[in-house]
Amino acid sequence: MFFLNLSLPEFLAVLGSLSSVVVALYLLDRLRKHHTVPTLRFFAAIEKPPVLKHRRKLQQPWSLLLQLISLLLLLLAIAQLRLGSPARYSRDHVLILDVSPWMAARLGPNRLIDQARLAARNYVNALPLADRVMVLRAGVLATPALLFESDRKKIQQAINQTQPGAASLNLQGALDFAQQAQRVQAQRPGEIVFIGAARIPSNEAEAGRLDPPSNFRFIPIAGPTEHVGLRKISVHRAMDDPDTWEVFLAAKNYGAVPRSVPAVVNFGGAPVATHRFDLKPGVEESYSFRFKTRAAGWLEARLPPQDSFRQDSRAVLELPPRGIVPVTVYSSEPDLLRPVFNAIPGIQPNFLPPGKYDPKVRTGIVVLDNFAPPSLPATDSIWLNPPADKSPIPVRNIEASVKLNQWLADHPLGAGLRARDIEIPSAEIFRPAPGDITVARAEAGPVIVARPGTPKMVVLGFHPIRSGMKYQLTTPLLFANIVRWMAPDAFRSWELTAGAAGTVDVELEPETDPNNVRVQTEDGASLPFTIEGKTLRFFTADPGIVRVLAGDRELVYSLTLPQPGDTVWQPSHVKVGLPGRAPAGPASRDIWQWLAIAGAIGLFADWILYGRIDQRIRAAKGAPPSEFLRKAS
Amino acid sequence: MKPQPLIDSALLEKLERLAIRWQKSFPGLVGGHNISHFAGSGQEFLDHRQFHHGDDLRAVNWRAYLRLEKLFLKMFQVEPRIPVRILLDCSNSMATGAVSKFDYARKLAASLCYVGLVRLDTIGIQPFGEHLGDSFLCGGGRHRFIPAVNFIENLKPAGRTSYLQIAREFISKYPQRGLLIVISDFLDDAGCERPLQYLSDFGHELILVQVWANEDREPDWEGQLDLTDAETGATLQIGFDDAARRNYIDAFDAYARDIQKVGLRNGGRYVGISTATSIEEAVFGPLVRSGGLE
Repeated sequence: MFFLNLSLPEFLAVLGSLSSVVVALYLLDRLRKHHTVPTLRFFAAIEKPPVLKHRRKLQQPWSLLLQLISLLLLLLAIAQLRLGSPARYSRDHVLILDVSPWMAARLGPNRLIDQARLAARNYVNALPLADRVMVLRAGVLATPALLFESDRKKIQQAINQTQPGAASLNLQGALDFAQQAQRVQAQRPGEIVFIGAARIPSNEAEAGRLDPPSNFRFIPIAGPTEHVGLRKISVHRAMDDPDTWEVFLAAKNYGAVPRSVPAVVNFGGAPVATHRFDLKPGVEESYSFRFKTRAAGWLEARLPPQDSFRQDSRAVLELPPRGIVPVTVYSSEPDLLRPVFNAIPGIQPNFLPPGKYDPKVRTGIVVLDNFAPPSLPATDSIWLNPPADKSPIPVRNIEASVKLNQWLADHPLGAGLRARDIEIPSAEIFRPAPGDITVARAEAGPVIVARPGTPKMVVLGFHPIRSGMKYQLTTPLLFANIVRWMAPDAFRSWELTAGAAGTVDVELEPETDPNNVRVQTEDGASLPFTIEGKTLRFFTADPGIVRVLAGDRELVYSLTLPQPGDTVWQPSHVKVGLPGRAPAGPASRDIWQWLAIAGAIGLFADWILYGRIDQRIRAAKGAPPSEFLRKAS
Repeated sequence: MKPQPLIDSALLEKLERLAIRWQKSFPGLVGGHNISHFAGSGQEFLDHRQFHHGDDLRAVNWRAYLRLEKLFLKMFQVEPRIPVRILLDCSNSMATGAVSKFDYARKLAASLCYVGLVRLDTIGIQPFGEHLGDSFLCGGGRHRFIPAVNFIENLKPAGRTSYLQIAREFISKYPQRGLLIVISDFLDDAGCERPLQYLSDFGHELILVQVWANEDREPDWEGQLDLTDAETGATLQIGFDDAARRNYIDAFDAYARDIQKVGLRNGGRYVGISTATSIEEAVFGPLVRSGGLE
């Protein structure tokens, strides 16, 4: 027999206090009552008034005793008096299973997750039958697989379905979740049990942030001690040559002895680099190299599969083909423009006479030099000194000896253009429509106007090669800006990285506009992210490919390279290992319902026998009216 | 908040069909509605008598003189106008009880006043406690009711009751006999039987209306009581149980019986009313049954 809700001293203290209050109220109720009456003559007429000398003498001792007993019964019900032993009482436990990638490592014939599932089943079997268990899978997120449940079959099923994940272990998050679940959902909290290898990042272990609760039990699963794995592989185009890729490769020795491991990098099945990592215990080393290709293909980095955890021995990245923008130049003087377009990387110019104009061209960029086609091109176009009456941007007038002196520097079309006082013998002055972009302006008005939309269009009111711009650096820069504005995808820089799922931090370029940043999954769905300063952060618990589009930069993350924790957590001052088997037999039994009913019956009986009901009945009956009063009324 | 009127208009409409009745024959001027055995200038013939010097010649029966050559005087039955006086107890004992007896008595007095005014009676309202208070006289129709109600509403309970003193003062203040309606709880430690007898002996017709609260007759208290007399301030400590309650009720009923005897043996009437009874029930029930109203 024991109390569930109160300790014995607490119970006695509450009982004593309440009993004192009841006795005090009882005596107060029986104190002399004061009344003002119209006359005392009839009270004086009562024979031998029973004036009591002892005012506090108990008038109805059975009423007081009944009240006190009822109070005792109700208090026992509140304290939840139980028959049986406290050891047999059912509790709610949280079983945390480690589902970090490391649990897929093998030790002997079995994986670590198999050992963890076996330990979990043993733990559940050691619990009393009435105990309830919540199964919580701890990866980078804590995911409940089963809420508090006493059905052993359901618990076993939830344990057996547990598999290793792709993201590293967030142990503190799992412990917080378990404590919260016990606070909110558990009727009587039991233990919080962690079963797993408990490999966590070294920074988390060193910071001492892990704080196991007092009811924590740790069942460690021993794993292999020696392991070397890839930590990171990233690829991006070289700044000096867009056809060259720069590859960065990092590997780490997680074991306790030095290791010498060869790494092989293949592209399209053919080796492009080999390197031998000589790794001391706990040390991470990197290796960088370049290789040149225009073709798309799979880049694979591989370590020899010689240890028990093979998931991080191989990483694969898909390299995209280099984009080429076709530019069709319709000009009767192609030699004038040829040097300009040949100098722009990433485009493939094709020079044709105006007579071969094809309005059906729908890809690339069309350049119209000194002529206007009968129908507007269906793709993006650059117009050079079009006829005044056929210009797509209305010409206000034609000015001679125009001085170009103002550029739209804060727009991609005018980026880097600072030349002033450029002499132009004759220029068309445009009348731009609302929404048009004035790229360059003379004193007389706009001379270069861009029209956004689909297709895009840029109209120059003069021929740059025949004007004072011929020998200016501004001319190739202007055309490069126009081509980049019209075909940004072709000039986007690529960076591919293989890493682990979880939280990913991306360093953005200083000039990146946060409003133009997007994070997408492999199927194009947007992924939530935050930008703090110049660091973008996003989270994904599932392995896969995530694209970060930041202006003209695209970063591709292949989050398929699992990362085991650096260190094995070894808590102190906690219960370790499986508990002893619970005593057989039924759990302790609740009797608070019967106690509450008995207490209520006692109070009701007191009310009937001695309480207000008695007084009301007496008052309702009243004294019979005398014969005289009947006549008088 | 608008104060509650002493009597609502619905009850007043019902009261208009009632009239105050008395049994004695009082001398007085014509104009009343109760026949008196005193002769006077009425309409109904009563008797003949010998003519004496100084009698009104208009009442001589000249037909009898021509036949008998003797002067006979015709006498007529008179319906005299009789003063109706309502003695209203304003002592502190009337202010006790869950339902104030004083409020109840005021409503009852206002109801009787309205009945009298409708029948063109002259109504005098005389509050009393240890002494007679300032009185209010009204008559001549229902339009005089509002001042009477204002007077009744402004009364406040105070002091103790001394029936002997007020009997003396009343006899000296009102020499004309008439109908006397006493509305009181009749709780005077010195007793009120003898003073009421004096008033009756003086020639007044008494209608005694005893008002009591339920707890006056049957206190529902239990246990040790510390009692204070509302009028004298005297205290008494007793233990009160069922047996004591029975004795108390017997003593109260015996006292009420004595009051009733005083009222009835002198040709008057007695009505005992509990404050649990509504005013309408009290008027159309016990008061009408007693013959005080019809």
